[in-house]
Amino acid sequence: MPVASRWFLAAALALSASACVTINIYFPAAAAERAADRIIDEVWQLREGADGAPAQGSSQGEAK
Amino acid sequence: MLALLALPVGQPSAAAVDRLSLKVADVANPAFTLHDIRVVFDAGSATGEISVARARVGGRVLRDVRLRCARAALSFDGFSCHGADLRLAGRRVSAALDFELDRRSGAARLAAGFGQGGRMELDVDGGGRLLARMVELPADAVHALLSPWSPPVARAMRDFKAQGRASGELEWSGAGARSSRLSARLRIADAGFGTADGLQAGERIAIELAVDARQARDGWHWQAGIEWKEGAAYLHPLYLEAGAKLGASGRLDGRRVRVDEAALEVEGVRRLRATASADLDALDEATLSVDVDGADLALIGPRWIAPLLAPASTERLRFAGHVSGALQLRAGRLQAAEARFEDAGFSLAGAAAGAGFAFGPIAGRASWVQGERGRARLEVGGGRWEKLALGGFALDAELMDDGARLARTTVPVLDGALVLEDLALSRGPAGWEGSGSVVIEPVSMPALTAALDLPPMAGVLSASLPELRVSPGEIALDGALVISVFDGYLRATGLRLREPFGVASHLSGDIEARHIDLAQLTETFSFGNITGFVDADVRGLELARWRPVAFDARIVSSPGDYRRRISQRAVENISALGGAGAVAAIQRSLLRLFETFGYRELGLHCRLAGGVCVMDGIEGGERADGGFVIVRGGGVPALDVIGYNRRVDWDELVERLQRVVAENVSPELR
Amino acid sequence: MSVLPAILRRLGALAVGVVLTAAVHAQGNLEIDTPAISALKQSMQKRHAQLAPLYAAGAVGLAADGTVALRDAAGVPLAQRAQVTSMIAAENADRAALYREIARANNHPEWEGDVRRTFAQRWVDRAQPGWWVQQGGKWVQK
Repeated sequence: MPVASRWFLAAALALSASACVTINIYFPAAAAERAADRIIDEVWQLREGADGAPAQGSSQGEAK
Repeated sequence: MLALLALPVGQPSAAAVDRLSLKVADVANPAFTLHDIRVVFDAGSATGEISVARARVGGRVLRDVRLRCARAALSFDGFSCHGADLRLAGRRVSAALDFELDRRSGAARLAAGFGQGGRMELDVDGGGRLLARMVELPADAVHALLSPWSPPVARAMRDFKAQGRASGELEWSGAGARSSRLSARLRIADAGFGTADGLQAGERIAIELAVDARQARDGWHWQAGIEWKEGAAYLHPLYLEAGAKLGASGRLDGRRVRVDEAALEVEGVRRLRATASADLDALDEATLSVDVDGADLALIGPRWIAPLLAPASTERLRFAGHVSGALQLRAGRLQAAEARFEDAGFSLAGAAAGAGFAFGPIAGRASWVQGERGRARLEVGGGRWEKLALGGFALDAELMDDGARLARTTVPVLDGALVLEDLALSRGPAGWEGSGSVVIEPVSMPALTAALDLPPMAGVLSASLPELRVSPGEIALDGALVISVFDGYLRATGLRLREPFGVASHLSGDIEARHIDLAQLTETFSFGNITGFVDADVRGLELARWRPVAFDARIVSSPGDYRRRISQRAVENISALGGAGAVAAIQRSLLRLFETFGYRELGLHCRLAGGVCVMDGIEGGERADGGFVIVRGGGVPALDVIGYNRRVDWDELVERLQRVVAENVSPELR
Repeated sequence: MSVLPAILRRLGALAVGVVLTAAVHAQGNLEIDTPAISALKQSMQKRHAQLAPLYAAGAVGLAADGTVALRDAAGVPLAQRAQVTSMIAAENADRAALYREIARANNHPEWEGDVRRTFAQRWVDRAQPGWWVQQGGKWVQK
């Protein structure tokens, strides 16, 4: 096996190995927390007044 | 008969006149035997104490029984003790006792007053007849009385914080003899119990209990009747109300109790019989087999089946018909079950809005045995899924401990059929999992469109979905569903049914349509008239409640040589699709002059997300003024249809389309 | 020999692609505005009106695995215990669907477990004073 292709093999393996791991490492924990907080706000109606019913669910009124 | 051997003991002394101490070896009455009795009587203070080293009552031995009397009297005829205080093995029994013993007849009388007004009287005559009367006996007194006889029951009473009052009589005649008989009538009122976590609880319970038993060589033969008169109980996850009646008979041999026959009357079940066997010291290990005959599913379904099998959908599940069968349990675990269905029916309403599905009438039987392969063979008379009626079919399944494997099942759908093959399902920790394959044998489109209240269409729907995979929250159908329609075909692939039973139920997939005849299509939907053919690719189509909520769709004229004309009305309608900003690039007056126009190609692209359709026309048809070409004219007379509104509210678009289709009114043009 | 490098090159490209998409996600927001997620939020919001008094009474608590659990049914009237049990099952079905849907909406179904853990932590952190939450296997009142 030529040196170049061996080097390539090593690099590719390293990349693919890192790819396997990154899926979990790259779970966007901070973004997920923000998303969770937004949903919890709505479900528990912690913002937008006590009577709740924020118009999230319906997707009306967009551009005409 | 009483054998009383009095042996004065102790040294005569100055106090000997006042104080008498007796030692008695044994007192035997058919109902009880007392060993090693000491009686100390203090004449001066008229107090006394009786202690019994061992007392044998009804097969149980009590050790170190002490009765300390506030007022005692001793005469040649007997002994009486009032205001006494009882200690069992050093533990004080909280009751005020009166005790009388007639030396000659052997008759004894014990009266106990418990707190809160509860009383118990015990009479033993010389012939060995014991009569007990209980008046409003509180639970802690019952607990104290029971603990020597049945520690598990007493323990359970404490663990379950049992409350209530017991009244009644108990008669035990011929005690000790072979023909001993026992008869008891008990009423338990204001009873309640509850575990700390509240998962097992009862309130305001009233029960009447009658027991008659007769001693034979092989133990006690008993008969009992229990009637649950009042109250309610929650035995997680079941809520039960008063009304049940139980009649039972069996045997008690040593510590082993057997229920040879029990008949339970419960609302909704024609006949329920059971047999059981248990060790009195380990009631948890009891074995129980139940035979159910003619249970009304409409009643027992919501009460017993839904909370156990589908707690999240109890409100949406409906049952009908009858089931009979048998259950075998050991130590609270199901060992085997058998069910026979008669005219049974089940339905699950859609979580959000839809009609859901229903099956019935179902007849047949299913059996399951722990650790073995069971079988279900059911004849399903028919069904319904959303608006689709399903025909009758036979269901043959192998049942495993935690799953089932279906034999090839053919469910008729209109003039075609849904065929399930090799479907195996098992219940994992997160939900159902499994795999199989699905084939839809051709269903004619006229029948399907009629059933779905759609405009009539010609053609055929069929599918080959060789890879069906079920995982928690998703049913994946790999393969293709093909509808041959309008001279061309629609091919759906990558079908995924997500959260099928929840509020977020949605279907997704990709659709490829080729050579769709616009003449037929526009006629079907009263859309004016266009001749020609189109191809369409819809990627990432997502349907929630059968309405599209996301997709990326591109419609283009099919390649090839064919006549391409578009009617005046179709032009107007297409303009409407482009939204209020769409415009026909000719004057309206000119438009009115001609019935049809020639076109070279047409194309529309809509990417729907978040309720908005982002539009585009023919590829490369962008205009300097920001418009996009939807129909490029050609021939005579020719016209271009140009859209200007790139963001269109989807609901509004659909509403406008429906209006066009329904009323065939010309949409407004600007 | 000539095939292997080609495969490896593709593999390498794939790996780079995965790393890149993951990195993009790490910076942006998670997609939570899908119709399915909206339907779940609405369903849970509606149910919350009934669950809130049960949280306050300690009957229902927020479990460590992102579900709700029957903690102490003794405070619930007997006749309603079965309904509460069924409500809890329905809420947990919605929650399981929500975690799956968020993972799916972001094209990473395998994130479901991470999403669930994140939510579990946030439900617990944001529980109101007096509510019961599960921490280290034990129920604690906030």
